[in-house]
Amino acid sequence: MRVLATIPFTLLRMVRSYIVLLLLLAMPILLLTVFAFILKGAVTETGEPYLYQTAITMVLTFQLFGGSIVMSYIQTDFFSEFRARIFALPFNRTMYAFSIMMCGTVYSILMGLILMAYTQFVLGVAWTNWLWAIYILSLMSILSSVVYLIITFAVKSFKTAERLSVLYGVSFVTLAGLFFPMPDNAFFRFMGSYGNPLALSVEAVLNMSRSNSGGAWFQANLLLAVTVVLFALMLLVGRRRMA
Amino acid sequence: MTIFHFALKRSFGNRANLLFLTLFPIACIFLPSGEGWPFLPYGYQYFGIFILFASIRLAAIMLEDRAKGVVKRLAVAPVSHLRYISQNLLAYLCIMVVQCAVVVIGGLLYGQQLYQPAWLMLLYISFSAASLAVALAWISLYRNKEISFLVFMPIVFLVAILGGIMMPVDIFPEGLRRLAVVFPTYWLAKGLDWIAFGESIGPFLLVNGVLWLYAVVFVIMGSARKIE
Repeated sequence: MRVLATIPFTLLRMVRSYIVLLLLLAMPILLLTVFAFILKGAVTETGEPYLYQTAITMVLTFQLFGGSIVMSYIQTDFFSEFRARIFALPFNRTMYAFSIMMCGTVYSILMGLILMAYTQFVLGVAWTNWLWAIYILSLMSILSSVVYLIITFAVKSFKTAERLSVLYGVSFVTLAGLFFPMPDNAFFRFMGSYGNPLALSVEAVLNMSRSNSGGAWFQANLLLAVTVVLFALMLLVGRRRMA
Repeated sequence: MTIFHFALKRSFGNRANLLFLTLFPIACIFLPSGEGWPFLPYGYQYFGIFILFASIRLAAIMLEDRAKGVVKRLAVAPVSHLRYISQNLLAYLCIMVVQCAVVVIGGLLYGQQLYQPAWLMLLYISFSAASLAVALAWISLYRNKEISFLVFMPIVFLVAILGGIMMPVDIFPEGLRRLAVVFPTYWLAKGLDWIAFGESIGPFLLVNGVLWLYAVVFVIMGSARKIE
């Protein structure tokens, strides 16, 4: 397992990319801080602070973009600058690609955890069930990596792939109705609830904290199923592209 | 006006740019109206954010010039720096004006409730000028196009929220409400409120004046010639 020896360096590479840190960590922290000031003391009819929902949504929203780091590393290592070097190395390339994906996913989960800790200890948001939230967070992170990789493998031009990946994040945020309310018809109702990973995961966390564990498990399992199916698809397109 | 001509050509030569610059304004026309807030339809409330993004994309062409050494060649050519800056900016402003016109006229044709479309157009143009100036000042800090854009993105969201475009300033606590005045987006939001409710022209002219003041200040900040 020579691939194992590369993992510390992959992680180091990720931690040092300050743009990713800025976009996926500093920006949500700033936004959450601003929201905490604005929403101070505001509660819903059921007595839940508004900030709680905002925090859940924000943490999970940024997971939608977490796959970008995996995408860019796979691109540089396998399809552009480092391609010749990586192909000359005596190790299992599939495992190496896999390790990059795992590192990126873990890194993204870690940033989500930092955000959760920040909201809990600095802004005073009570995450009722940490374990459940982390489980959902991980699902979202894996899903995002898988989707980003499918896009990377399926599209020839990397520029287009990058744009598509941003579209994936932004369109689901929009469809969840976070920017403005969506029109009220069957299609948009579906895309704002069960057809939307972001809405699913937010509802799953909320349902669990409202002690509706049946609903929460249902939503989480839906997410899991989608992830498994897309993972298989990723393996398929990946094999074609790598060959 | 050779530089002006080529700045226009370059902005439209890039296919992604063209798509971005035409699709989004058209999408803005069809966004729904909110209940209670915002007073104008969402597309018109959020158009300011689009203007900010569009202006950084346009201004990035000048950043490319600097990175590729075009500015250096221009420095020895018989073209003054003032000309280079002003004709580029004028070209970008023309593009922005066309987009504002598309959004406003399209909205009228589609039947959106725009209250005072002519003044809305003026407000968008003033804000475009201010945001182009901000973009010019912003790119003067960077050497890399991608990084300048990526760092600009979160700042746009923050400024949009703190300025009161994404949510009304009235619900902010005292401190943030005072701070909001600093951002150009606050004046845009104020102008949009005036479009819906305003009667006497005075406050609206003040809003536009402030936006043009921003434009002047940021152009001065961003127009220094940098040769790397």
